[in-house]
Amino acid sequence: MLAVQESPVVLDWPAMDNDTVPGAAGTSADRDRLRRLFEEQALPYMDQLYAAAMRMTRNPSDAADLVQETFVKAFAAFRQFEQGTNLKAWLYRILTNTFINSYRKNQRNPYQNTLDDLEDWQLGSAESATSSTARSAEAEAIDHLPDSTVKDALQAIPEDFRLAVYLADVEGFSYQEIADIMKTPVGTVMSRLHRGRRMLRELLTDYARDRGIAAPTARRTT
Amino acid sequence: MTDCGCDKAKAELEEYLHRELSDADFRDISEHLSHCEDCSTEHLVGLTLIQKVRSACSETAPVELRELVLTRIRALQAQ
Repeated sequence: MLAVQESPVVLDWPAMDNDTVPGAAGTSADRDRLRRLFEEQALPYMDQLYAAAMRMTRNPSDAADLVQETFVKAFAAFRQFEQGTNLKAWLYRILTNTFINSYRKNQRNPYQNTLDDLEDWQLGSAESATSSTARSAEAEAIDHLPDSTVKDALQAIPEDFRLAVYLADVEGFSYQEIADIMKTPVGTVMSRLHRGRRMLRELLTDYARDRGIAAPTARRTT
Repeated sequence: MTDCGCDKAKAELEEYLHRELSDADFRDISEHLSHCEDCSTEHLVGLTLIQKVRSACSETAPVELRELVLTRIRALQAQ
């Protein structure tokens, strides 16, 4: 278990003036109201945060710890959360910060920083299939892959790329929101997302080929 | 048909898929995809990738985790 109650949560996130928060005085009833508001608004994101934590930590026990720590930190900072702004993005930012600070510290990939600097040509070609018939078959083959294969492929791509793909494709965050969550410029988000998706596509196409999953007929679906 | 719009569609396909284009660019590319088989199959691969990742990553948090979180925030509130 991680000791989080002692550490102040510092979030550079739009905060509202404490005077405007009803219950800022912190009477028992106010604190009760704030806690109920948190349970009502933030806790419904538990499954989503847990799914993200699973992709970050790669195992259920660490994922559960990470989610628990995220909610504890979020609750401690909830008075500063500006009602009406994006709670989901705020929670994801705490989750991502916590993951990077607590879990990734010891296993940081030394190649990560240089990956962003690689030119596109160093990462392989963009299109794995040349004809549209072959690409239709590719889409169908990918569609037939089991979930476990997709998760394995996600785990195989570099962490920052995986995170960008996850936040965009699973959670549907905008580039700007991902930039805020990952604390990187939008251009870096785009680059990580493009490269991550390209790697994912190549891996999945390879898996499909290895497993002999290929679509015999090419049909258009638009 | 690959004589017009392919370069732009290919360059901006990811932004199209992630709804990051202006309305005008979005319309241009939608229009291009409607008549370009090459680009529309590329779009289909991109869309399939998004849908696969989304459906593969769904999880349900353990019940004990929910209880643990509730217990901890109630304890925090009581402090």
